[in-house]
Amino acid sequence: MALPQAAALLAASLTLAVGLTLAATCRPVRAEPSAPAPTAGPATVVSPPKTMVMTAPGPDGAEALDVTLSPECRVPGSKLYTLARLGAVKLALTEKRPVRVLTVGSSSAGPGASATYPVKLETALERSLPDVDVVVESRGMQGEIASGAAERLRNMVAEIEPDLVIWQVGTHDALARVDAEDFANALDETVQWIKGHEIDVVLVTPVYTASLAADEYYNSLVRKVQEVAVREGVPLVQRYEAMRYLSGQGQKGEGHLLGSQFRLNDLGLRCMAEHVTRAITLSLLQADTVVTGTTKTPTAVIVPPRDAAIKAASPPPSVLVAPGD
Amino acid sequence: MREPNAIDFWRGLALVTIFVNHIPGNTFERYTYSQYGISDAAELFVFLAGWSIGIATRGRDGRPEPRLKSVLRLLSRTIEVYRAQITTMALALAMIAGTALVLDNPLLLEWHNAGGFFADPIQTMVGFALLTHQLGFFNILPLYVVLLGIAPIFVLLARVSRVAALALSFGLYFASLVFDLNLPSWPGEGDWFFDPLCWQLLLVLGFVAEDWNRRSPWLRTWSVRLVPLGIAIVLTGIVLSVLEIRPDPLLVPEPRLLFTFDKTYLTPARLIHFLGMLLAFQTLYAVLAPRLGPVAGYLAGLGRNSLAVFSIGSLLSLAAQLVRFWTGGGVFVDVSVVGSGLIALGFTAWFVEWRSRKPRPSSPPA
Repeated sequence: MALPQAAALLAASLTLAVGLTLAATCRPVRAEPSAPAPTAGPATVVSPPKTMVMTAPGPDGAEALDVTLSPECRVPGSKLYTLARLGAVKLALTEKRPVRVLTVGSSSAGPGASATYPVKLETALERSLPDVDVVVESRGMQGEIASGAAERLRNMVAEIEPDLVIWQVGTHDALARVDAEDFANALDETVQWIKGHEIDVVLVTPVYTASLAADEYYNSLVRKVQEVAVREGVPLVQRYEAMRYLSGQGQKGEGHLLGSQFRLNDLGLRCMAEHVTRAITLSLLQADTVVTGTTKTPTAVIVPPRDAAIKAASPPPSVLVAPGD
Repeated sequence: MREPNAIDFWRGLALVTIFVNHIPGNTFERYTYSQYGISDAAELFVFLAGWSIGIATRGRDGRPEPRLKSVLRLLSRTIEVYRAQITTMALALAMIAGTALVLDNPLLLEWHNAGGFFADPIQTMVGFALLTHQLGFFNILPLYVVLLGIAPIFVLLARVSRVAALALSFGLYFASLVFDLNLPSWPGEGDWFFDPLCWQLLLVLGFVAEDWNRRSPWLRTWSVRLVPLGIAIVLTGIVLSVLEIRPDPLLVPEPRLLFTFDKTYLTPARLIHFLGMLLAFQTLYAVLAPRLGPVAGYLAGLGRNSLAVFSIGSLLSLAAQLVRFWTGGGVFVDVSVVGSGLIALGFTAWFVEWRSRKPRPSSPPA
């Protein structure tokens, strides 16, 4: 699997980025007790340094790919996520207790084998946050957010009492053609409820598929998820945008019925763990002032040099581009 | 073929309600009684299943049939329901996959828990046969299989002592609520959508109530006296569900499941609401039946053939979901799919009875 490589690349690029940031901002800072201590530090850098150059935006302003992701999942940051603060996870890190994660959504339900999304997510998160024990609980959910599923999610959250809920949302409501406003209101209310109980939320948009690319309704539902994430100030993983980008890069030869599209679905699942991990890691690095997806300026991130490889630097400005741009 | 009666009538109504509610987002959904209470048609369905077991395991004179016969009867019914579940699940997965192929749309493969089957067929096929992998909306029959499987224990115990059967059932129910007991889903994490350890209480209540109702004038008197209490509970349910007032599951005291509104565990609020509905509507059939005419006959026909109607209804509501998604929905589509679905349910009931009247073509000549 490409995950070890991805982690190594992550460490490598973060090292570089931190160096750049420190040089640029020249802001001496104190060490945060909450910062997870690195185990290996820069020693984990194994990749050739030239790949790291690609993390910076190109000279013509075109956005470069995020090379911290494994090759088949590489997407520009702006297509991938918007960031926001994750207070509850930070608190768990400060208190040095395991981070409990509940992942909910249609695709997290299935597979029971070891190489599945929840397991991958747990592995990726633990690689990204060394010395932190991450416990991922995964639940499938039936029903629509606009009717009974929001209530079921509450009961699920009460049962598991997580620090963080990663919620891939919208598929079932889209399949039921639920009114987009009703969906947005129910989603907003549920996200508020979760946040109101000092639990973090990361929203994930539903899958992209070429057959729905021109579907007004489906696109409006995806936009609603983005809007709610911005309104509630929660991180968003744009699975839809990422898959659309990747499908544009896809091999053209496989366009036959179910060919590339269905592989893309599988690939989307595989990449989602990486994408979600990336968004969470970067969100944890956010300064405590809330940064929403609409902020275009780079955040000044407080990073002790010792933690450089792990805590990393402020993401490039492109990461903070508004959703749906 | 038996004449229309209250049990078949209410079971038919539950079947129609389940059919309509399993087409989420459709126009008629908001007109079903499930939207106006804390409990819904699932409770009614399971309670009436218990009531029917009471009728089926006794002769016309009310004398219980031989023990072994009852056990074999329940075993045979368990197998029938299991077979229905396997068949409908297989057809449902084929419908989902087929539609995804025709519309070239992988989103459909993520339909309520179906994703696991397509992403990971080796484990999921095992879970499919074990009933531990359930599609969304296809999880009532697995519950029913387990309930019928354990029903002989309660049926035989109730012949010795009804109180003992009730005590065992209540004990299991409260233990499951307090200790969060449920059967696991596999593959994947989580538990069954309907917790059989909790829902068995409704089956046992239905079974015991049928028995008591037949022989205890005291119960009949009191159930009529308590109609106002039932009406008060129903009104409370309407207010709570319309205003969306419900306890916050993170704020209630422990054990949490005693206080929340949770369908999976048939929490006490749902149970009380259902019993209130039962009290309030117990005599309604006698009032409604003469006025509804053919509608009462139609619903009773569905109720008499509940397993076939439920199975076909599950597939029809899935088909309706797929049609709504494909066409984009709208009132015209909703009227068409729900209307043709109701006709198809009626035909199913008629067809099953027609088949049982006709000699099987395959049977050897006498």
